Amino acid sequence: MNGPLIVQSDKTLLLEVDHERADECRRAIAVFAELERAPEHIHTYRMTPLGLWNARAAGHDAEQVVDALVQFSRYPVPHALLVDVAETMDRYGRLTLSKDPAHGLVLTTTDRPVLEEVLRSRRVAPLVGARIDPDTVAVHPSERGQIKQTLLKLGWPAEDLAGYVDGEAHPIELAEDGWALRPYQKQAVENFWHGGSGVVVLPCGAGKTLVGAGSMAQAKSTTLILVTNTVSARQWKHELVKRTSLTEDEIGEYSGTRKEIRPVTIATYQVLTTKRKGVYPHLELFDSRDWGLIVYDEVHLLPAPVFKFTADLQARRRLGLTATLVREDGRESDVFSLIGPKRFDAPWKEIEAQGYIAPADCVEVRVNLTDSERLAYATAEQEEKYRFCATTATKRKVTEALVRRFAGQQILVIGQYIDQLDELGEHLNAPVIKGETSNAQREKLFDAFREGEISVLVVSKVANFSIDLPEATVAIQVSGTFGSRQEEAQRLGRVLRPKADGHQAHFYSVVARDTIDQDFAAHRQRFLAEQGYAYRIVDADEILAGG
Amino acid sequence: MSTPGPRSLAEALRLRDDASLSELLRARPDLITPVPTDLTQLATRAGTRASVVRALERLDRFALQTAQALAVAGDPASYGELLGLMTGDRGEPAVAAALPRALGTLRAQALVWGDDERLRLVRTARELLAPSPQHPSPTGLGPTVQEATAGMSPGRVQEIVTKAGLATTHDSVSAVAALTGLFSDRARMAALLAEAPAESREVLDRLVWGPPYGQVTADPAPRLRWLLDRGLLLPTAPGTVVLPREVALHLRAGRAHRTTEPMPPALEATAVHRPQVVDTTAAGQAYTALATVEELLKDWDEGGPAVLRAGGLSVRDLKRTAVALDVAEPVAAFWVELAYAAGLLASDGEADERFAATPAHDEWLQQPADLRWTRLAEAWLTATRTAGLVGGRDAKDRTLSALGPGLDRSAAPEVRHRVLTLLAGLPQGAVPSAESVLARLAWERPQRREDDLRARLARWTLSEAELLGVTGRGALSAHGRALLGAPAPAADKAAEPSGPGDKLPVHHTPVVVEPLSPAEQAVASAAAARLLAPLLPDPLDHVLLQADLTAVAPGPLQRPLAAMLGVLADVESKGGATVYRFTPGSVRRALDAGQAAADLHAFLAAHSRTPVPQPLTYLIDDVARRHGHLRVGAASAYVRCDDDALLNEIMADKRAAALRLRRLAPTVLAAQADPAALLEGLRAMGFAPAAESAEGDVLITRADAHRTPPRTPPEPVPDGPPTPDATLLAAAIRAIRAGDLAATAPRKPTAAPLAGGDLPRTGSAETLATMQAAVLTGEALWIGYVNAEGAASQRVIAPIRVEGGFVTAYDHTADEVRTYPLHRVTGVAELADEA
Repeated sequence: MNGPLIVQSDKTLLLEVDHERADECRRAIAVFAELERAPEHIHTYRMTPLGLWNARAAGHDAEQVVDALVQFSRYPVPHALLVDVAETMDRYGRLTLSKDPAHGLVLTTTDRPVLEEVLRSRRVAPLVGARIDPDTVAVHPSERGQIKQTLLKLGWPAEDLAGYVDGEAHPIELAEDGWALRPYQKQAVENFWHGGSGVVVLPCGAGKTLVGAGSMAQAKSTTLILVTNTVSARQWKHELVKRTSLTEDEIGEYSGTRKEIRPVTIATYQVLTTKRKGVYPHLELFDSRDWGLIVYDEVHLLPAPVFKFTADLQARRRLGLTATLVREDGRESDVFSLIGPKRFDAPWKEIEAQGYIAPADCVEVRVNLTDSERLAYATAEQEEKYRFCATTATKRKVTEALVRRFAGQQILVIGQYIDQLDELGEHLNAPVIKGETSNAQREKLFDAFREGEISVLVVSKVANFSIDLPEATVAIQVSGTFGSRQEEAQRLGRVLRPKADGHQAHFYSVVARDTIDQDFAAHRQRFLAEQGYAYRIVDADEILAGG
Repeated sequence: MSTPGPRSLAEALRLRDDASLSELLRARPDLITPVPTDLTQLATRAGTRASVVRALERLDRFALQTAQALAVAGDPASYGELLGLMTGDRGEPAVAAALPRALGTLRAQALVWGDDERLRLVRTARELLAPSPQHPSPTGLGPTVQEATAGMSPGRVQEIVTKAGLATTHDSVSAVAALTGLFSDRARMAALLAEAPAESREVLDRLVWGPPYGQVTADPAPRLRWLLDRGLLLPTAPGTVVLPREVALHLRAGRAHRTTEPMPPALEATAVHRPQVVDTTAAGQAYTALATVEELLKDWDEGGPAVLRAGGLSVRDLKRTAVALDVAEPVAAFWVELAYAAGLLASDGEADERFAATPAHDEWLQQPADLRWTRLAEAWLTATRTAGLVGGRDAKDRTLSALGPGLDRSAAPEVRHRVLTLLAGLPQGAVPSAESVLARLAWERPQRREDDLRARLARWTLSEAELLGVTGRGALSAHGRALLGAPAPAADKAAEPSGPGDKLPVHHTPVVVEPLSPAEQAVASAAAARLLAPLLPDPLDHVLLQADLTAVAPGPLQRPLAAMLGVLADVESKGGATVYRFTPGSVRRALDAGQAAADLHAFLAAHSRTPVPQPLTYLIDDVARRHGHLRVGAASAYVRCDDDALLNEIMADKRAAALRLRRLAPTVLAAQADPAALLEGLRAMGFAPAAESAEGDVLITRADAHRTPPRTPPEPVPDGPPTPDATLLAAAIRAIRAGDLAATAPRKPTAAPLAGGDLPRTGSAETLATMQAAVLTGEALWIGYVNAEGAASQRVIAPIRVEGGFVTAYDHTADEVRTYPLHRVTGVAELADEA
């Protein structure tokens, strides 16, 4: 009885990482518990019904889960908790969706009372058709996603065995010349393909695009890729051309500016969710080809309408890619039921340890407001307060000092407020990329940055997602979208790509002391701190003195 | 037996030896409260309705079935007749083998007497068990032909006899006897039934296993007519017919019961865990139980919930407690009741009545964990209060509230003990299914009523034992076994493989464990504590601090450390470990509680296994800086002295380190130690400090804890008197024997016949015995009677029934049936023959 694991009554699992059996234990529990926090000594995993059903979907049974808990636990595991685990897992698979040769899509049960219970629900009734026999009921094929979503909410998740359409075949191969998929990427592709549909969770910079490319090479069929914005779309295209047998002509971009539909089409969420006169005019994209695979990039940002469309696409293979399953809107269960269960997950620190992402030094710089600023801050209107403290003049001085300190390295300055960025750009003598910057101009600047022609770039939140700046080694955040944890993770991701010289990355967050800026910063950092990125705190004076 | 058998129960008892009488009194302790004067009185008491009902309720299913069979047999019945009723014509070896034991039980309990040729069920038991229209028998048998034809006209009886193919007789009595003879004769009866139309057979088949009554119209259908004509159905009331007992027995091939259960159902093991796993799981749960009770009472330290006017805890308070303990409401009710039963909490009895911890709780807290646990476990074992009932409704449809009235169930301790004893009979680590435990209990004590209290109690016992850590993963732990005083099973037995499949019935070694006397229980508890102690985790003195502003205590913490952390950080999750989170709010709370930032840093540095993370240092400093310059500190005690030098001396003294003194001002020291410890500490150092009265500037948290006046824990409410011990039994038997000798010693006939005007005078025991005898013989008696106004009279009565202190009799004097309280009967005399 000296295991590395402690089972808590609220169903969190505490894993002592320095324990000799910690690795073994982590592998055993990762299949059914979500890593919630990974600070330096004790990692916290959480067991949720979703997680347990994920495990069931991946072919693990309650026996294995109970075994893992009992085997690694330091203290006896409460009997009630084990019983609860078994009961929860037992709920998965009582209902199955499958294809019946005579009746089409059917919902069958191995436990008749369960079917009776769900059929009695008002939300299920409109989704099902005729009762075929006591254990089987027909389901309208168009409601396959809806019914899965509804059943999950009722606590009886259905196992979807109805299979997938192959889609229109299209030859795609990985062009592994001088590079190869990393072991964990291979594993992710394999897990996904074996499971049929689902979500792969990898840290920023760990090569999610390649997991997408690998999956496409498995599917060898026409593919629809949904991404967050146009820049990201271009980068996908660039990567795919470079890493696979696909050519420029085979890849289409479907965005605000271009409407190409090719065997591989990359579309932005934005264009799909554009609404004109109460309808979504671009929805036909989903039906424009017989897609064999649909890839959702940054699935944690998937907008609500896309969930609705996805419900209708249950017959196609779906791959979700994300750095974190944490959704600020709490719709994780929709991701589970509509895209699929989590198929692969690797903690950031582990991939960092393998050398695939750069080690990062995270620093929070506390600046003091001057007395007059404090007075002004105290009397500012509530909604103006954050803007006021986030754009304090002292931050500019600290930023300049930091840029001086890292002179010669590739530096990104990231902020929220345009006038603050313009002012910084002016003082640092650096170009500013913001919403109004044209795409052509953006790419030109990015290229210049990549080539090292310019070493400092000031960007607004338009650069939050999926831009690829391989040689950025320092990021300085001067302001952000309030307390978004997700944005902080993305921004850190900008500097995590492995450096050619194994250089350490730096992430500075400049924060005004004793203001709501500091509160927001604390909230933003929580996710990263839980991932094991401990922030150091330094006072602005040190930077100013040292710079 | 060669000698003629006993003629009455009293005689039968007289023939029994002391050991066997002792067995009777042990099984039916109500018989010696008060101790009867002689065996006649003992026999009388053993025949009273209340006592017989009590005894019958305590029979196991097979013994009860045997008694039921005797009730439908002749009186007296031979062993062969009884065996026939139990096994039927085909014979069942299992039943035949078990029957002597069941009969032995009935004899031991004085429900049956007489030798094997002439078995007699005591009259009251026969009345209770024999079928009657009001009380259908569990056998499903109806009245005999003789009983059913009692009110029939002789002409009708002769018609039936003729139709049944018998010769007519002169009188009804012989006709009924002939009919009974026919129905009881298997061969002739088979021939008669062979002629029956198929539809008529169907009617019989429907009635054969009971209920034996059916409805008929004024003009019965031909298939019924055929049966009615031959007496195979007999009318009982207009529109109702009954299947006579003899016919039913023929159709059943002689069996009184459709199914007999000669053997107790085996306990079915659903799983077998390693004993070590069971013990550690149970120990873990035991520790949780202690922590939960402690947390509960700590929560109530400052003003517990109010006592409802009707007594008990309001539903809202129970809910709040459940949320605070993070458990379901029924579980919260269990913990509350447990603490109450153990005498750790009670109502404070003040005008604004509240529940609070008792002084006993404070003593309990000081004890080592293993003793704390046995205290709880003992209280649970013997309590008649039943937490499972909380939230239900009583007979008057009032909600039963926790700690409220109406929760006592006399059967609870006995059921708990029985369930645990059953578990103790299994091999170590075997987990029986709840259903098989319930089935076993139902066999041992069949319940007639619909609401099966014992089954519910048993279910509660299983879940409560798990909560309390008496069982682990459903199997009895070693310390649980010790608590019962049950012998530990042999080691080799535990190692034995349980069989190829999990669901196989495990061989159950019956362990007979009597409930323990208080002294024995203390020994057993000590043994349990010894087994439990090494399994309980040792409190830790350190935590792990992490950069995400959490602290993890990887086990239970020492109490002061846990208390301090509880203030400095918020508890995020509980269980084997505790996760604390530091927030600005929680740090502020610690600062508000009188800690300085430096104290907090020192505290964290002292108790952290790992370096204190920088963000945490910043957090504390940030909050402390904003905490302001005004110091509204909280110190447990202070030292005040006008002489700076003396204070310097104290601060310099190494022995003062334990007091954790801090200089507030040149003339003031603050201490973290409480005033008592401070005073003691300073005295130990050779100073002569004086305590200062608390004028509001000294905050002593301990003094605020609310306590009831001394309270005793609630007394269990047992059902009936306790089982007498050997000494009492011996004394009782000696007294009875003495009285019996006095009563039965031959003596000269007393006396002059009563003069006409005198009231007869006899002792109350003799009065009762004579009355009882008269009921049996149907004789008339002469009694003296004093009415409610005190007027004495003499009456001649024929007693019909004697029970509950009343005699119901036909009063010849008044020419009607009357009921007399026995205590008003001054005496009784038998009538002279010519009267």
